[in-house]
Parts: sequence; C-alpha cells; structure tokens
Amino acid sequence: MTVKIEASSGGMPHNTIMMYGLIVSVVCIYLTYLNQLTDTQWFAFFGGIGAIAALWWGSDTIKHLCSYGLGTGVPSAGMIAFGIGAIAMVFATKFDIATPIVAIIIAGIIGAIIGYIANSIVNMNIPVMVMSMCELAIVGALTMLGFSAMCAGSFGFNNLVVAAGSGEVIMAIIPELGVIVQSGGPLFGASVIGGSVLAVIFILGAMALQHPFNACLGPNESQDRTLMLAAEVGFLSMIAVAVMSYAFIDGLSATIALVVSLLGWYYTFTQYVALSKRDAFMWLDAKPIREVGGK
Amino acid sequence: MEEIVLGIGITALAGALATIAGAAEDTESDIGSQGDPNSQVQLAPQMGYIHRIFNKAISGEPPAYAAWCAIGAGVAWAFLQIGYNPALAIILGSIVAVFVQGIYCISGYLGRTASLAKFEQPVYIDIIKSLLSVTMAHAFIAIFCTVTVCYLMATVLHAQPFALPILGLLWGLALGAAGSATGNPFYGKERQYQNQNFGAGVPISASGNIVRYAEAGERSSLDNGWFTTKFAGPASGICFGLIVFLELWRTVLFETSLGGWGAIVAGIVLILIFAVINLWVEKWGRETYGPYTSEEASS
Repeated sequence: MTVKIEASSGGMPHNTIMMYGLIVSVVCIYLTYLNQLTDTQWFAFFGGIGAIAALWWGSDTIKHLCSYGLGTGVPSAGMIAFGIGAIAMVFATKFDIATPIVAIIIAGIIGAIIGYIANSIVNMNIPVMVMSMCELAIVGALTMLGFSAMCAGSFGFNNLVVAAGSGEVIMAIIPELGVIVQSGGPLFGASVIGGSVLAVIFILGAMALQHPFNACLGPNESQDRTLMLAAEVGFLSMIAVAVMSYAFIDGLSATIALVVSLLGWYYTFTQYVALSKRDAFMWLDAKPIREVGGK
Repeated sequence: MEEIVLGIGITALAGALATIAGAAEDTESDIGSQGDPNSQVQLAPQMGYIHRIFNKAISGEPPAYAAWCAIGAGVAWAFLQIGYNPALAIILGSIVAVFVQGIYCISGYLGRTASLAKFEQPVYIDIIKSLLSVTMAHAFIAIFCTVTVCYLMATVLHAQPFALPILGLLWGLALGAAGSATGNPFYGKERQYQNQNFGAGVPISASGNIVRYAEAGERSSLDNGWFTTKFAGPASGICFGLIVFLELWRTVLFETSLGGWGAIVAGIVLILIFAVINLWVEKWGRETYGPYTSEEASS
C-alpha cells in the first residue's frame, strides 16, 4: 500500500509562478554579466538568485505533475530534470551572451521529446506530462547555469573549462572538447567542469528541486509553505556553492555570495518553520502520543 | 612490486573506512527513518496510529547520500585547490555536508508531519531536538569516511581519471544503495512490525500498524537505532566495505594484465561468484524453511 498523493488546490496559479520564475531567473543570470562589464567578480551571487527562482518555479511544476499519483516518482522527476538540463546547459555555454536563451530552447526541445516518449510510448498518460517535462528541463538547465555562473564568475564555456589564475599565459588544447583555451596556472583539472564541481551542482539542484513537494506532500499541503521550502533549500544549496566558489573567484566576491546566501537561508528557514507551525495539527514539546480523538 | 604493496595497503584502509561508513549510514537512516521503511511511518497516522517516530522525508537513501558525499567531496576539493591541508579540507567539507543534511532532516519532518494535520498527527518538536544531533553525528562519520576513501582513490591510487567531487557523487550513491538494500529490511520488515508473527510477512490489513509503544513508555527512533546497530548496521558496513575493497583490489592487482582488460575480467568473475553464492543462499533458505505456515495449519 502506498501513500496517497494529495496536493492543495488554489493559491497562486501555476502559470503566474512560471512567468515570475522564468523572468527572474533569466534576468538574474544575465546580471552576472555585470562582472565582465565592471571587470570584477562581485556580482557572481546573482547566478545563485537566478537558480533559486528557477527552483521555486520547478517545485510548483513537480507538484503539478506529481499530483497525478507519482508517489515515488517525486525524487526521480528532479533527477531527470537535471539530466536533461546538464546537456542543454553545457551545450548552450558555447553561445556567449545568448547562453541562457539557447539553454531554455534546447532544454525545452529535449524535455518535450522525453515527455512525449514517457506519455505516448511508455504510456504513462498524464495530461500535463509534455509541458511539465519541458518546464522541468528548463528549470534544470537554468539552475545549473545559475550556480555555475555563481561558482566561476561567468557562464561562458571557456570560463567553465579553464581555471582562473594569474601567471604566464599558456596555450592549451583539450582534445576531448575540441577547443583551444588560453590561461595561466592549472587548467582544465581545476575548472568548474574539469574539477567535476558541475556534478556537485547537479545533485545539489536535483535534491533542491524534488525536496519541497516531496517533504510537504499530504492532505494538508499548502502552496505557500511548499514554495517557502523551495526558496529555503535553494538558499541552502547556494551556501554550498558559495563555499565551493572560493576556489574560483576572489575571496571578497565569494564572501559576498556566502553572506547573501546565509541571510536568505536564515530568513526563509524561520518563515518555513513558522508556516509549518501554522499548518500543524498541534505543536507539542516532549508530550506523549495523543491518540486520535484526544485520548 | 612496491607500488602493488602500497596499493594493497590503501585498498585495505579504504575497505575499513568504507565498513565504518556503511555501518554509520545505515544506523543514521534507521534513526531518521529514511528510505522505504518511511512509507509505513508516513502511512501510520492515516490509518489512525499516531506515533512518535522521526519521519525524515528526504528522497531515497542513494540520491540523498550521493548529495551529502558530493557536497563533502566538492567542498573538500575546493579547499584543497586553495591550498588547505587534506585532513582539514575533508573535515570542513563533511561539516558543510552535514549542515545541509541536518537542515533537510528538519524540513522533511516538519513538512510531512504538518501536512498530516487532517489525521491529527501532532508535530512533536522534541523529536527534532533529541534526534537531529544523533543523525547528524552518524551522517558525519559516514560522509567523512566516504570522502576519505574517495580522496585516497583520487590521489594515491591514480586508478581512475575522475576528480574528487564526482567520486564523492558515485561512491555516495553506492553507499546509500548498500545501506538501503542491506540494512533497511531489518528495520522496515522486522523492527517496525515486531507486533506481527515472526516470518508472517506484513498483510495489507496491518499496513501502517507499526510498533508505537516500547517495553516501557513510547518507542522513539533512538530505540530503532539501538536495535538496528546490532545487526543491520554491521551488515551494511560489510556490504559497502566489500564493495570498496573488492573494487580496488581487482583494480590494483589486475589493472596492467591482459592489456588493461584484466581488471574488467576480474570484475566479471567476481560478479559471477557472488551470483552463485546468492543463488545458493536463497535456495538453501527456501528449502530449509519453506513457505510460511501459521501454527494452526502446521499442527
């Protein structure tokens, strides 16, 4: 016997959440471009904010999709979203300034194909499947792009495969990737992609995407609590990414990102606990089992 | 020759660390009630059984431990890049990972329990206060040992091309899978259902009727940890320890033979040996004990 999945209705319409999430995410990821314009790395944290906006939207999409009875499928939905997102995001980083837009288009196409396969060939027959897989793939791509930009200082491909470092300029050819890159110091092995930091971003994002609805599902699930948890786990992931960014960007910029993420996390966490207190049947401290009916 | 001796030494050390990691991981997940047994903990209030068990609703153990170990390895890798001492870097990485793990535990318990308000399940906030530190401590041991194993693989053995963070992801996944497959039945099928006849399985009518009262007072998840540490924890530890040990052992010894294919052939042979052992154990178990019969039917 499995747990019946129930989700609340009402609240903010899903399409409104999608519009807010998409716009805020893309705008924030573009704001990391201020780093290039001002020749600093102070604005890297905007990538993290963009990723959180995408996760916030994605957790509502998961709720939308999984309310069709996908009980154990909730965590899996997060994993497949980031699997698609990883492909789209790495491909898109080759397009310089157009990167976020290309990531959205590629992820949308792959997501639609996978959604079609799941719905029509595997016969899952969920009406919102194709649209949801599209959305989840875009969320995955934008989240990975945002966190990568936050980690490395920008979302350009060359910046993700070559570690930043001063020193003499060395030409290096990475045959697996077919690119010629120029930099000093340790190269591919110390970069976001070469050092596999992208793998950590993948799992951080996938966990943060599936956790809000997975943790809050049940008959008394409420949208504001689930979305607050989405923001909370987003900031929590951002803390981990901020700590890792010390290896790529200068100490001051990484510290700005860490402080922003800690403040955001503290606020959303206290809000989430308050909302849980509001929704809970009773809030008891060191009390015995209270049988149904109050016996 | 000297290299092989060093390799075998590292293999033994990694196997020992993995054994500790496996035991700590399973005990942590049983105290927190993570993985498949949690569906019964979640179901109990819906069937009218209000309980005081930690309902730690994070995804299954393999993705969860992949996340914790990847965070630990990723942060450790970052600190190694900026020149920290390896021991300190791994400890700092494990601390960040265990912080994330603890926050996920709190939000999982609060979220699921608050969503069960319709069934009159209260949020017992003292469960978090008393059990969170215990699960975080066990998770720290599991993460620290696994990241150390990954560090040994990445720096000393050079047997693979992967960087530390992706090794953390892969071995964390293996750790969670080992603990989930080996340890969980002991908690989910045995400890939660001590009120059923031994060996009877759990009929649908008993779903959610988990043991809620202890020998004295009420059962807490700490009692479950105490119980599963005796058998499920060590069993998971041996499972994960054997996986890590045999994986490194075959690589260190046979990597250069047969033009690089030696380690792969050895791996296939090991899988076949274990398949035969598993088949034999299952056949022996079924032939010796047979299908379950109730006492009236057998007498």
